[in-house]
Amino acid sequence: MSRITAGLVVWGLGLALALGLPGSVWRQAAPPGFPWAAVGPTILAVGTLSLLAPLVAWRGGPGLASRRSLALLEAPPDLLWAGLLLALWPAAWGPPGLGGWLVAFLVAALPGEARWLAQAMPAEHPFPQAWGRAAVNRVRWLVLLRLWGRWTTARLPVWLTATLVLERILGVPGLGTDWMTRVAVRDRAGLAGWILALALLWLLSHRLDREVA
Amino acid sequence: MRPLLLALCLLLPLSLTPLPLAAQMVEESLGRDPGPLDFIQGDSYEQWILQSLAGDALVGLGPDGRVVPRLASSWKAQKDGAIHFTLRPDARYPDGASVSAEDVVWTVRELLRHPQASATKRAILEGAEVGVDQGRPWIRSRKPAGRLLMELARVPIAQRGHPERGSGPFAFRKEPGAWVFTRRDHFLKPRIDGIRFRLLADPGAVMTALQKGWLHIGAPATRRQAEVPPTHRLLTQPMHAQLVVWSRTGVGQLQLLERWRRDAFPPQLLGQNARPSRGLWPETLGFETQAIDAGAALPKGPGSWTLHYVAGDESIEKLLLALRERARKDGFHLQLIPLEQGLLGERLHKGDFQLACAVVVFDPHPWAVLEYLEPKGPMNFSGWQHPRLAELSARLQQGGEFDWRNLQSLWARNPAALPLLDFRSVIWVDRNLQVVPSPMGLYLHTPGAAGWRWSRE
Repeated sequence: MSRITAGLVVWGLGLALALGLPGSVWRQAAPPGFPWAAVGPTILAVGTLSLLAPLVAWRGGPGLASRRSLALLEAPPDLLWAGLLLALWPAAWGPPGLGGWLVAFLVAALPGEARWLAQAMPAEHPFPQAWGRAAVNRVRWLVLLRLWGRWTTARLPVWLTATLVLERILGVPGLGTDWMTRVAVRDRAGLAGWILALALLWLLSHRLDREVA
Repeated sequence: MRPLLLALCLLLPLSLTPLPLAAQMVEESLGRDPGPLDFIQGDSYEQWILQSLAGDALVGLGPDGRVVPRLASSWKAQKDGAIHFTLRPDARYPDGASVSAEDVVWTVRELLRHPQASATKRAILEGAEVGVDQGRPWIRSRKPAGRLLMELARVPIAQRGHPERGSGPFAFRKEPGAWVFTRRDHFLKPRIDGIRFRLLADPGAVMTALQKGWLHIGAPATRRQAEVPPTHRLLTQPMHAQLVVWSRTGVGQLQLLERWRRDAFPPQLLGQNARPSRGLWPETLGFETQAIDAGAALPKGPGSWTLHYVAGDESIEKLLLALRERARKDGFHLQLIPLEQGLLGERLHKGDFQLACAVVVFDPHPWAVLEYLEPKGPMNFSGWQHPRLAELSARLQQGGEFDWRNLQSLWARNPAALPLLDFRSVIWVDRNLQVVPSPMGLYLHTPGAAGWRWSRE
């Protein structure tokens, strides 16, 4: 079975789960409208993360994966970062809003993503270290360029949905809140739309990421 | 130097001129996304709040629960069961059009016709006829006029062909992450500039927002015994809300629960938000306290039952744990099974449970309890029925009357549900904001938010 077929089977199962989601609501509620206004900030957040994380990994190299300080930053859950931000945010500034959400998202996601990338990078000893700093940087650059597509594809569904906690605490409803609300009101068609959109993104990135013979 | 002085002299009076102040919006929060404002399809507590601000029903319920004029300035019940309404001439939609009898007819017919229409409103209007007589709308139903009027307070009228447009005291607009209502020229004469709701699903976040002054109204998290901040005051009021347990396996379990509810819940766990229920039906709706009158002996331990409940509410979980400990003293094991709300809903509808509990918010009139009894009642999960029900319910007129007591006695002989707790609303309100509390909350009565004002006005 090819990787595409295996992936499509998994997405198909996800689609079946969305369409056959068990349960019924006590009082039928209309599903929410799609939060188009949240798409821009989400693209900004995901875009910033997808640039910053490779940059941090490029700077730290594969050794970053085992660095204790990074693990310490990675350990706290989103809940803690959002709560901390909310507690430290000056009252006079008003609610944190999208800016606060973006900061909390990057602080919560960046350490984990940088480690994810660093772990996937090949060892640098003895080569290319023996060839000097420029060679190391070049190799890291090529590796990260190769990894970028797969990494984004693998993590995108997680980023899009895991922002729910931040959204709940900071009062910034976005894409995470949207799919959660659709689960709550049993909007099976809406959930299926989500799965199809993510599957399409996956398929697209898979085509872009084709192995060179 | 001289031109500079001249410029300063010109600017000084300008700087002393008071600038127009930004609208003083009331900042509020919603716990769940209410979905799009829709007077036909919308059906959730949050949606009711939106509709009460942006729409007007024919009649309203005052803070004391009595029927008061709203869109209709007067009404008259006819002998044939129809109620004729006289509409206010000054009620208008945001586009300037007057509210007409045709709008009333369209709203009622659309609620009865539309397959996705609000189930609550459709149940209110089930079997109803609507029409226009000499420019005045009328509605005829099998229900007694008193009941129909009270229930019609839950049916705001939408403009014909525009299910999202009402004539209420506030104009609605959706902003990213916020639901904004601004004051309109309206017969209720709202005195606040508007209300802005943000979606804050996390109780801890609501608490922080209240303490930082970002919300003017909000419910403090029940798990924290926090001091009211100096900017706010505490407001408590009884609610038509109870924690109810349904039984599929007979009245025996409910008899035991009736005994346990008296001493199962420590006061410090209940706080100000709840107290043990005393009767079978809400006292806030005017019902006298009535005990179960099954005439059967209490079940003897040991025994084991399962109790399904909605997962995720920490305070409810703690209370149920206290109930489990109380049951253990009598030799019964209460197995608590948390379920996601939708899954519990499905179990209730299928009758697939021994005991199940959920928080119920009753409609603000005594007929709301008929949801337990009527054959297709939304809370009749055990198929409860009685041959005398139809005869008794047809005679019901006003709460607290003899026929209501008869009906409650009938239910008390073989109840299918028992309330464990009566809830109270505990909220913090900005000290400068004068609101009108009621058992329906701050929004769902008349005048609702239109009666609020800032005290520094």
